[in-house]
Amino acid sequence: MEPIRVLDIGLVPPVRSQAIYHGVAYALGPGTPDTVILVGPTDPYVCIGYHQELEKEVDVDYCRQAGLPIYRREVGGGAVYLDRGQVFTQWIFHRPALPAALEERFALYVQPLVETYQGLGIPANHRPVNDIHVQGKKIGGTGAAQIGEAEVVVGSLMFDFNFDLMARVLKVPSEKMRDKIFQSLNEYMTTMTRQLGHTPDYAAVKREYVRHVVQVLGRPAEYADPTPAELAATAEIEARLASDEWLYQKGGLRQTGAVKIHADVYLLEATYKSPGGLIRATARLRDGRIDDLSLSGDFTLLPAFAVGALEQALRGVALEGGAVRARVAEFYRSLPVQSPGVGVEDWVSAVMAIKGQMPVSS
Amino acid sequence: MTVLFGCDVPETCHFDVERDVWVRFEGELAVLGMTDLAQTRGGKLVNITFKKPGKLIAQGKSAATIESAKWVGPFPLPFTAEIVETNTAGFTRDILVANKDPYGAGWLVKVRPVDLSAERGHLLTGAAAVAAYREKITALGVHCFRCVDNPQE
Repeated sequence: MEPIRVLDIGLVPPVRSQAIYHGVAYALGPGTPDTVILVGPTDPYVCIGYHQELEKEVDVDYCRQAGLPIYRREVGGGAVYLDRGQVFTQWIFHRPALPAALEERFALYVQPLVETYQGLGIPANHRPVNDIHVQGKKIGGTGAAQIGEAEVVVGSLMFDFNFDLMARVLKVPSEKMRDKIFQSLNEYMTTMTRQLGHTPDYAAVKREYVRHVVQVLGRPAEYADPTPAELAATAEIEARLASDEWLYQKGGLRQTGAVKIHADVYLLEATYKSPGGLIRATARLRDGRIDDLSLSGDFTLLPAFAVGALEQALRGVALEGGAVRARVAEFYRSLPVQSPGVGVEDWVSAVMAIKGQMPVSS
Repeated sequence: MTVLFGCDVPETCHFDVERDVWVRFEGELAVLGMTDLAQTRGGKLVNITFKKPGKLIAQGKSAATIESAKWVGPFPLPFTAEIVETNTAGFTRDILVANKDPYGAGWLVKVRPVDLSAERGHLLTGAAAVAAYREKITALGVHCFRCVDNPQE
């Protein structure tokens, strides 16, 4: 039974707390053990999901003024403010070592987190698809991705969380909306510190987490250090995660609502809330057909190229429910994609929501 | 007792060589522990967490979580069994008890096997166990060592 390697890296600069699991994933070879990384950032930062549009999700000006760096990860999910209050639990595994179905993979990944919380007396449970709840409040989410040859699942041990700054860094249409977000975070999120009335010892909780990983996976775990090759790959990734080109990707169609280009061409945008996350569809419509399409949001869709493939598949399709449905269904039949909580009908609804943005006169 | 590269392999025990677990049958019950090789590879224990007596554990599933500074491992049962007793007291007195005396005071659990005749085929004893361990220890390139009480501490 091959041991799992545990890299308990402690506190590292913000960019490294994201880059390290990308680096370990890209450096993964046949002889690399399945790896669990425990890491936290020395300083606060903002992290956006793979499919998100930076300027739509994050108040970039505020972050700049506040000295908060922003990084885009290669894993789906939403924009989040992160600091020392969280210890990230990052799994970088070989494909056969994890269940193929994402729902099962999340369930497996979440179990040791849930058991660690329960061991502290916090009544946590898995809230499918990929959240952990404590009596209706979320104590952290998780995300999955394929990075290089590796299967990656990430999440955190939520010691503490800065609700105020989380609400502050998000891009919102009004301050009233920001207040509502802050209230909602307060009402619907929780942390170990809130549940226990004190912050538990980080080292003890991390050890306990690894014990549960061993129990859940039925494999031993060995504490070790990253290899020089992994550190080199991590350093390379750090430069990319911080680059503007990477951060601002998906920024090609940034208009909101509807913009008429000429009589037959419109730029339209709509959002749709699916069980698996928010989908934002931005489309250029020409003579009633989808001329260009960008899909972003905090959903999970694997493999990573599938979003681009779906966007491509919908080009040229008439903006009609039946036509869109047929094309999306064909896409799902032809590619082994996984999108927990997002089905064919959700994509259809997201794309068809664009129609609602058309000016009435058209 | 045969000693291979410093690793004791008592011929009176039965061994699940792959899982590195020793078994001593006592009537309907069986006492189980880590082998000398397992305690050497794991290193000095810092913590052990037992499943509770009364719990039924399937073959290959863990009856305890064993932890050293650099290693955390399950203690897999060689056969399906109910836990009757755990050596919590022994490890509470001295967490290094399995590092010092893996086949004696450092036993881990006493169990009641559920269907031993169907699940004991892989257990080796006597010369067969010694031969299997000779191969395993040679392949791993390990030399066993034990912790000893330091009278000056």
